[in-house]
Amino acid sequence: MKDYLISMFIDDELDLDEKIEFVETVRADKRFGDEAVELLEMEQELRMDLGPVPEVSMPEALPEPRGGLSGWLPDLGIAPLAGFAAAMALVAAVFLLRPEPAVSLEQPYRFVIYRPGADQAEIVGTFTNWSPVPMRKIGTSGYWEVVLPVSAGEHRYSYLVEDGRQIADPTVLTREQDDFGGENSILLVDAAV
Amino acid sequence: MEKRYVDRVETFQTFYNEHRDRLFGYLLRKTGSPHLAADIMQESFTRYLERYRDRERSAALLFRISRNLVVDQVRKNRAETVYDDELHGYRSDNPESGFGVREETNRMLAALARLDEEERDLLALVVASGLSYREIAGITGLSEANIKVKIHRTRVRLKMLLKGER
Repeated sequence: MKDYLISMFIDDELDLDEKIEFVETVRADKRFGDEAVELLEMEQELRMDLGPVPEVSMPEALPEPRGGLSGWLPDLGIAPLAGFAAAMALVAAVFLLRPEPAVSLEQPYRFVIYRPGADQAEIVGTFTNWSPVPMRKIGTSGYWEVVLPVSAGEHRYSYLVEDGRQIADPTVLTREQDDFGGENSILLVDAAV
Repeated sequence: MEKRYVDRVETFQTFYNEHRDRLFGYLLRKTGSPHLAADIMQESFTRYLERYRDRERSAALLFRISRNLVVDQVRKNRAETVYDDELHGYRSDNPESGFGVREETNRMLAALARLDEEERDLLALVVASGLSYREIAGITGLSEANIKVKIHRTRVRLKMLLKGER
């Protein structure tokens, strides 16, 4: 059964072939069509308006939050908000005002991993904005590679391999644990001269 | 190519405006607690600015940071039960909520609370973040194929839970 097509339909994830399959299945299979309607109705409830959303304290240079937080959740636990706003402003001031590095050009960087049995391999990291970027298989060597532009500075990354597992780069010893039992490698790239 | 301060502030303001509601929607569905959601949202934007101020703005990164912060929080409070009735005290008659929340919202949040941790996280991400399955795969470490199956299974389970309540 391809019931998961219903969720892909709801989430705008169907490609053209799957759209055809979805519509044909709705037409041919009443149970599938009824299920789709029920889940779409539930989705309206699931995506309901949750009411007022609190503002985050932003840097002083930014416009004041609309409406403010007064009256929102009296027991918020972060009062007084003035102190919070000041802390946020300080954080922003420190980071926004710090001068840019003199050289910010990106350099091509080659990432290689040995996964002989894999059907696919991807890399995610700060330099991909944590979006997976597919790697290319190098012939029958068992190696996968990708060359990506990486800016100077400290980066974190890992590889997504078979079964969606996330692993650190075995050739890079500097690592940190993430919160899911995986590890990220830490890469320091010097500024190009 | 030095960007002017004002430009950078504006960029972050735009990014914040675009993602604030979505992030809160994710955190509220995930934690069931408006207080915790508000605190973690604050911390997420702060951490984003602290660590990634020079990077291209990325919604996937923001949600990844937030998700990690929830995990940290849960770890800290392991002794307590995070998804207990008190935190899910999201009834409109709850004086602490201050939301005037509709009955349907309560019912939905209560049903979400009965999903298991991974199911609730995935569904909250898909429903609230506006990110694709592919981007969510990058955040969760699950494969896209796995997400397709899991997200549907979770919706069906949620439907059963909601029906059971009626």
